[in-house]
Amino acid sequence: MTEINDSILAVRGLKVDFSTPDGTVEAVKGIDLDVRSGETLAVVGESGSGKSQTMMGIMGLLAKNGRVVGSARYRGQELVGLAPKALNKVRGSKITMIFQEPMTSLDPLYTIGRQIAEPIVHHRNSTSKEARKRVLELLELVGIPEPARRIDSYPHELSGGQRQRVMIAMALANEPDILIADEPTTALDVTIQAQILELLKSLQKRFGMAIVLITHDLGIVKHFADRVAVMRRGEIVEEGTTAEIFERPKADYTRMLLAAEPSGRKAPPADHAPIILEGRNVAVDYSIPGGLFRGAASVFRAVDGVNLRLRQGQTIGIVGESGSGKSTLGRALLRLLPSSGHYRFGATDISGFDRGAMRPLRRELQLVFQDPYGSLSPRRTVGEIITEGLYVHEPDLGRAERDRRAIAALKEVGLDPASRNRYPHEFSGGQRQRIAIARAMILKPKVVILDEPTSALDRSVQGQVIELLRDLQQKHGLSYIFISHDLSVVKAMSDYVIVMKNGRIVEEGETDAIFEAPKETYTRTLIGAAFHV
Amino acid sequence: MIAFILRRLASAVPTLFIVVTISFFLMRFAPGGPFNLERPLPPSTMENLMRTYHLDQPLWRQYITYLSNAVTGDFGPSYIYHDNNVAQLIGKGLPYSMELGFYALVLAVVGGVVAGTIAALRQNSFLDFTIMSVATIGVTVPNFVVGPVLTLVFAIVLAWLPAGGWGDGSLRFLILPMIALALPQLAVFARLTRGSMIEALNTDHIRTARAYGLPPRAVVVTHAMRGALLPVVSYLAPCAAALLTGSAVVETIFTIPGVGRYFVLGAINRDYTLVMGTVILIAIFVIVFNLVVDILYGLLDPRVRHD
Amino acid sequence: MTEIVQTPVSAPETRGRSLFQLAALRFRRNRAAMAGCVMLALIALFSFIGPFFSPHTYDQVFPSYVSIGPSLEPRPDTSTLRDVMEGVATRARVTLQEFNVEGETFTATVTSEQPIDPRATRYFDRANEFENTKVVATEDDGRRLRVEGQVDREYFPFGTDSNGRDLLVRVMLGGQISIAVGLLASLVSLGLGVVYGATSGYIGGRIDNVMMRLVEILYSLPFVFLVVVLVVFFGRSFILIFLVIGAVEWLDMARIVRGQTLALKRREFVGAAQALGLTDWQIIRRHIIPNTIGPVIVFVTVVVPKVILLESFLSFLGLGVQAPLTSWGALISEGANNIQSAPWLLIFPAIFFVVTLFSLNFVGDGLRDALDPKDR
Repeated sequence: MTEINDSILAVRGLKVDFSTPDGTVEAVKGIDLDVRSGETLAVVGESGSGKSQTMMGIMGLLAKNGRVVGSARYRGQELVGLAPKALNKVRGSKITMIFQEPMTSLDPLYTIGRQIAEPIVHHRNSTSKEARKRVLELLELVGIPEPARRIDSYPHELSGGQRQRVMIAMALANEPDILIADEPTTALDVTIQAQILELLKSLQKRFGMAIVLITHDLGIVKHFADRVAVMRRGEIVEEGTTAEIFERPKADYTRMLLAAEPSGRKAPPADHAPIILEGRNVAVDYSIPGGLFRGAASVFRAVDGVNLRLRQGQTIGIVGESGSGKSTLGRALLRLLPSSGHYRFGATDISGFDRGAMRPLRRELQLVFQDPYGSLSPRRTVGEIITEGLYVHEPDLGRAERDRRAIAALKEVGLDPASRNRYPHEFSGGQRQRIAIARAMILKPKVVILDEPTSALDRSVQGQVIELLRDLQQKHGLSYIFISHDLSVVKAMSDYVIVMKNGRIVEEGETDAIFEAPKETYTRTLIGAAFHV
Repeated sequence: MIAFILRRLASAVPTLFIVVTISFFLMRFAPGGPFNLERPLPPSTMENLMRTYHLDQPLWRQYITYLSNAVTGDFGPSYIYHDNNVAQLIGKGLPYSMELGFYALVLAVVGGVVAGTIAALRQNSFLDFTIMSVATIGVTVPNFVVGPVLTLVFAIVLAWLPAGGWGDGSLRFLILPMIALALPQLAVFARLTRGSMIEALNTDHIRTARAYGLPPRAVVVTHAMRGALLPVVSYLAPCAAALLTGSAVVETIFTIPGVGRYFVLGAINRDYTLVMGTVILIAIFVIVFNLVVDILYGLLDPRVRHD
Repeated sequence: MTEIVQTPVSAPETRGRSLFQLAALRFRRNRAAMAGCVMLALIALFSFIGPFFSPHTYDQVFPSYVSIGPSLEPRPDTSTLRDVMEGVATRARVTLQEFNVEGETFTATVTSEQPIDPRATRYFDRANEFENTKVVATEDDGRRLRVEGQVDREYFPFGTDSNGRDLLVRVMLGGQISIAVGLLASLVSLGLGVVYGATSGYIGGRIDNVMMRLVEILYSLPFVFLVVVLVVFFGRSFILIFLVIGAVEWLDMARIVRGQTLALKRREFVGAAQALGLTDWQIIRRHIIPNTIGPVIVFVTVVVPKVILLESFLSFLGLGVQAPLTSWGALISEGANNIQSAPWLLIFPAIFFVVTLFSLNFVGDGLRDALDPKDR
């Protein structure tokens, strides 16, 4: 372990465990960690590594069934097992936190001004008038426009990025020694991510507090942290300066994490490859219902006049931030929601097709979703889930034949065929995504729309799923539309990229052209935010 | 806000109309009538009665007559209480029912919310278990058991309180019926509060409040309580409507001259107009309290403010 | 945040544990809920099997035992038997000289100024207490008869009601009716509510608006009262009572199922089913309804006690099942009216009633915890 002379938070032998009906689960298995004055320490790990629970344990914020033992000293004061009253003198004053979910971390029933003022009034005994003045300064500081007006807003009236700024204002209110940021940008769009991190960095310079950054995103760590601790399954596998970790990683696990950054390129299909799916002037309107006495319904245009041509064997990547209309476009191309425009599948004009007419074509046009937990019905076995398409499209198939196909499909996606008798909740996220892919592939489709298929997965698992998708494409000559907000994955998967914003195409072109020489400012911002931070 | 209230009141009109229509025809298509007594009346008397009350006219005509009279506040004569019309009967009984119901409502809400909050804060403790067991008994024991038992213990054996009647309207007379009326609702409020309080205490923003070192009182009262009260408030509407329009059981047991008994007596005697009057009364209470609760909800939760 | 378990899948024919089996495991660990289950099973056995082991039927009237208290001793006891015998003797216009009971047989000596007609034994048999009385000796020219017969002793552990019927059997019958009404009415509300709610929620839009508007209007009908009206106007048959109660209770069910459906509709597996080309009805049947089962089951455990209470309320108003049939509610309201003179008439049915509802509540809470998706 490194020397601890300027350590302001010294963690020794910290263990966190949870008692569950299935026995005790050890989330953190005795770790040592030091936070030095004014530094940024990144704690990196994939989901379930115990990185968040370590901090929750120190701050006395574990769930009711959680227990923490060991030692965590803040400037010599032991925090583990400290009486709540004494602990409350530290929390919110000397050590503050911001959380992953800006949507739910603020109380929806009170104005943000009141919530930021609360710790000020409580820890500094200031009057509410003084506190309000301070809140205005803080809002100004964290870059909330029109602070005098916004101070009386409720959280639901702010955007996700603004809410995270409010959380930061609250964290800075009492000028803490340590700020713990638990995945502060995971729930935000890339461009906003960059702004928030920039803000944290500049505030650190100004106030000189230490930041403990808990994250799974190595890209952020590289540009933001002074030191890094890599956690895996409740243990610290490696610790060192950022440069050491990135240039000379010692632990295999760290090397694996670093290598998990998606790589490779896809060659574009031949120019004469036939067009397999085409959408011209695609437009989708959502009506916001007006209700019986609330006047006319208003209309929101989610996709506005988009043209897209997918050739056989091609992968088109569609990138954009949340609300850009990229997922809606995908569903419109599959005719899954009401939309206007002209659509063509192979030689067939499917513009006027209703649900019934589309049904036979569904086996050729498949869709894979983002959330591997939500896209599999929890009450059906894996076998039932992946053969559901056969039930619709080949109803005459016998049981034995269906089973045989299920086995083949599972083998193809690299799962044990025995898993067809199990239920989705018994599988990990990556395995579930493989099941979802098997469900699409069993029908031998021609076009697959992949809607953020890797976004909910850990980096190391992401790579495997991408590998699988590329193999399947080669083997069956598939055409993909790959929708994602993650530019590094898009770069590795697609040969053509479309950049969307507010329902329109901002820029499109060959992958290399877009990434090497982006023409539009928006594209440049996106790429800058994703690759350089 | 005013626009919202007006809109809601306007949408209550079709609702009331449908309620009246359904009740009217449902009742008329059922066999029997107000004058089919155990010993049949002589045909001439019967004919006279039917003519007096316009029951000999075609049904649609009666319906239109009823509707047009009802709009002007005339709900027709009662067939069994010959000296009074329906409006008078309800006007006489309603103040008693409402006064009793109001006390019961206050008791149920205050008692239930306090008990539920205590149980939630001491989750899985002996205290929690005790409170919830008592609440379960409160839900499961019907008030026609609670009523007589209360009377037996406090009015007959201990002789502390009167057994029934309105008396001079003093609190002494109201205590026992109030408890019998409030107990089941109190138990519901306690269970609701406990559940939503436990949920509220596990939310992310409570974690934030704790992470910022706010004292437990501020965490529980300012942050958890207000969110936890939302489901409680939504139950307030059906509960208030039920309590304030009187309970047939409690009013019978404690001989209270309220409107609660009219529902049952009217139905049993096929007193069409009295039945219709009480249906309209209850429907109005339900609609009004739903509106009140929606406004309250808006005050508690800025996300659903009505502008 | 839990460690993602990499399940090793090796055995060729592994059967997975469904969420249901997991919930069952969790449920079995919940002691209060399991106790509730056992209690319910015992009460059901008592109500449905019990009558076969009882010598009395629910409508059998014992005029000699009207409103007698509960006791484990056989009825009548010897001293009362003597009084009864005196009464019999008076009716037969004879004088009782001697009366003895040994076990199940009695002997009596009666005298009269006139010779006694041996047919007077009929008077003995007419009393519930005595059977097979026969003359064993005639003395004093027939003015003195020695008779012998069997004592018919009855057990009334719960006492009898004001008509002289065995309360134990009445409570069993009441249990049968109450449980049956509770279950059948809940099934009616379940069927109506699930189909209505799932359809309304899944189809959405204008149809959903209209369907939910209808539910709202039905809500503002005073429902307890509507039941009263229906029962009064259409008669008091058992079938009608549970149909009517079921038809009243489905509104909440429909709302809950609709809420669930709206949430499920946004889940990606429904989108996946659409992308596979399933029809709406196939999706409702295969994906929506199976996934609403958790909350629906929990809600049923709430509806059953509510229905039983509603039935008891009807009984209190005199609108429940018709005598000599009875239900717990009817027994309780009868007991409540006689609370001072015969408290056992209230106590016994009330105990069964409250224990049943209490157990149902615990089972419901246990199910809610076992099926809670947060615990997964």
